[in-house]
Amino acid sequence: MDISSLGGDFLGIIPLGDIVLYLTPFHLFMCVVMLLFTFLICISKTETQVEASFGKLEDTKVSVGLNEFKQRRFLSIICGIATAGAMITGDLFNFTLFMALIGIVNIGIVSAVKQTSVLNAAYQYGLIAMMCSLPLFGGAAIILASTGTLSLFELSNLATTSAMTVFGALLLLIGILGESGVAPFFATKAEMFRTPGSPFLVIIHLSSLFVVIRAIEILLIIIKVI
Amino acid sequence: MRISEIWNKLANPKNVPRLFAAILGICLIIGFIVPMELNPDQLYSRPAPQVQVDEGLNLAPYDRGGVILKEPGIIQSQYPSTTPYLGMITSYVSPIANLVSVISPYFGTSIYSSPGGLIDEVLYYTRGFDTILESSILMMAFVIASWLAVNFTMNRKNDSENIKSDVKIAIDKSKKVKDEVDENNRKNHLKQNRRDN
Amino acid sequence: MLVPEFVPGIFSSMYLPAIYAGLIVGFIGLMAIAMEKRDIHILILTDIVGLAMLIIVGAVGTDLAEALILPGLVVELAEIMAISEILISREMHKIESNKKKMPKNASIFPLPLVLDMEIMTTSSNFLALVLIGYGVFLTGFTGGAVAGGGVLLYVISRKSRGLPIFVFDGISGVSGISWCLWIIGFALFFIAPNLWLLSLTLAACGLLMKVASKLGLIGILMREEFKRE
Repeated sequence: MDISSLGGDFLGIIPLGDIVLYLTPFHLFMCVVMLLFTFLICISKTETQVEASFGKLEDTKVSVGLNEFKQRRFLSIICGIATAGAMITGDLFNFTLFMALIGIVNIGIVSAVKQTSVLNAAYQYGLIAMMCSLPLFGGAAIILASTGTLSLFELSNLATTSAMTVFGALLLLIGILGESGVAPFFATKAEMFRTPGSPFLVIIHLSSLFVVIRAIEILLIIIKVI
Repeated sequence: MRISEIWNKLANPKNVPRLFAAILGICLIIGFIVPMELNPDQLYSRPAPQVQVDEGLNLAPYDRGGVILKEPGIIQSQYPSTTPYLGMITSYVSPIANLVSVISPYFGTSIYSSPGGLIDEVLYYTRGFDTILESSILMMAFVIASWLAVNFTMNRKNDSENIKSDVKIAIDKSKKVKDEVDENNRKNHLKQNRRDN
Repeated sequence: MLVPEFVPGIFSSMYLPAIYAGLIVGFIGLMAIAMEKRDIHILILTDIVGLAMLIIVGAVGTDLAEALILPGLVVELAEIMAISEILISREMHKIESNKKKMPKNASIFPLPLVLDMEIMTTSSNFLALVLIGYGVFLTGFTGGAVAGGGVLLYVISRKSRGLPIFVFDGISGVSGISWCLWIIGFALFFIAPNLWLLSLTLAACGLLMKVASKLGLIGILMREEFKRE
């Protein structure tokens, strides 16, 4: 499908050399929502979890120290900006790099916790993120080899899709599934949530939601079946 | 196996990377069935290996034409219309690199040309945004690793025994060095005295 | 022949063997990961998968592919560093919660490592100086790596142990400032295209300082490990 039927009327481009960011109502909306959410995270404080103790009447409070809080806030802001950038980028390789950035920042947000189970989940997610560099960059390179371009404009103007391009897109899809933790690879990301510090943890989830939506649009642009 | 058992296995984070690896490996096999060939119409194409070396060009194998600071080199970018000074970086090489290329035929064996040259044009200008993202990824990895190192894995503020033993080792070492220096001084003084006498 | 209109025949004919090699390497690495049990081995095996990615990207054989290899390489390197640090901290948390005893299912134990090489005591300053000088002469990413190697050697070869937080903060500050330099250079390319030479110098020097300081930080972290007795 072409870009305007997926995203609405064409509003303009931001040319940065070969990498041209483009704006349609769809992309602009997603980008602005993401930036607004990032701003909300900037000014918010973390929650304190209250755990009921067994056999006693007291509760234990699990809170986040100041040092840890600063680290998490910084990384979540970067994550928000990266997701907003992934929404408007117009280049395939650029998009995969944004995904890699989101992946590593997601690990970083939970890396400071003390629970071994959460650290274990973060480590296992990190392994997936490392493996994902093969399908993401490799898929983009295969699409580059078969079509001769990485720009989404040029890809949407192509008349037909060869089998090789579809294979590249398939690899790209697997990479996106793994990196954003869609089923059946959800367990690692779901376990990462079990720690105090709520508003910062939510961005792990939100960024993968937004990225999956954008990735579907990109895959529809590349593959011209419909 | 019942489906509930499969769900339970999937909920254990330890199994997820292995499942992902298996699925990805099987998908790579599809690549052997799909017909693949390189589209000859590529951006930034380069001459065949050794062609520039055989022709005896100074900047081989990275000669893309142009005159330093005067004429742009030949570069096939995606959107030439948005980059007015396209090719100027390709033709530019730093003065030292220029000198090396004039006096030596082996310029291409090392990356002398930067700042300037073809790769720098792609990395900093036409696809500069990619490189910025890549370096941001590196920076974030450093933020994570060094935060953990400074605050946890190498933090020895609470480990007073370790600090004590380290201080002891340091004192011993500096004492040893001092003794050595004293001994040498004494010997040299003796030598000097003997010579004087 | 400066730049051909189309890709030369040799690249087209070599594309298929190259990409098949990449797919086979990736398949072997992934199957090994699927069968392996210990966490540390999986971490090492993921590097093979990264290698397969580099082969597939490099198979395209244009100048663009040569430029795209660098981001792929750096992403791999960055992720393996962050994740191994998480693995170490996870194991240390496990050991701490088991009251300093080695748990049965621990996959690694952060062992002290004594690295006693002659190069660290004889002429480390001179070598570091040569490496930094040559790196500054090269500039850019490679120059940063060479100069950073010099900084790393200098920092590791210092005698005493102990994490100097002050120095650490200073070096990371330099790294951040040089990153900003580079961003300014990149913006100038598009705001004022006629200043391309200035932007190029800003970007190259920013990248040099950034990479060199990053390697210096690795040196400080590694010294902490090497000098432990």
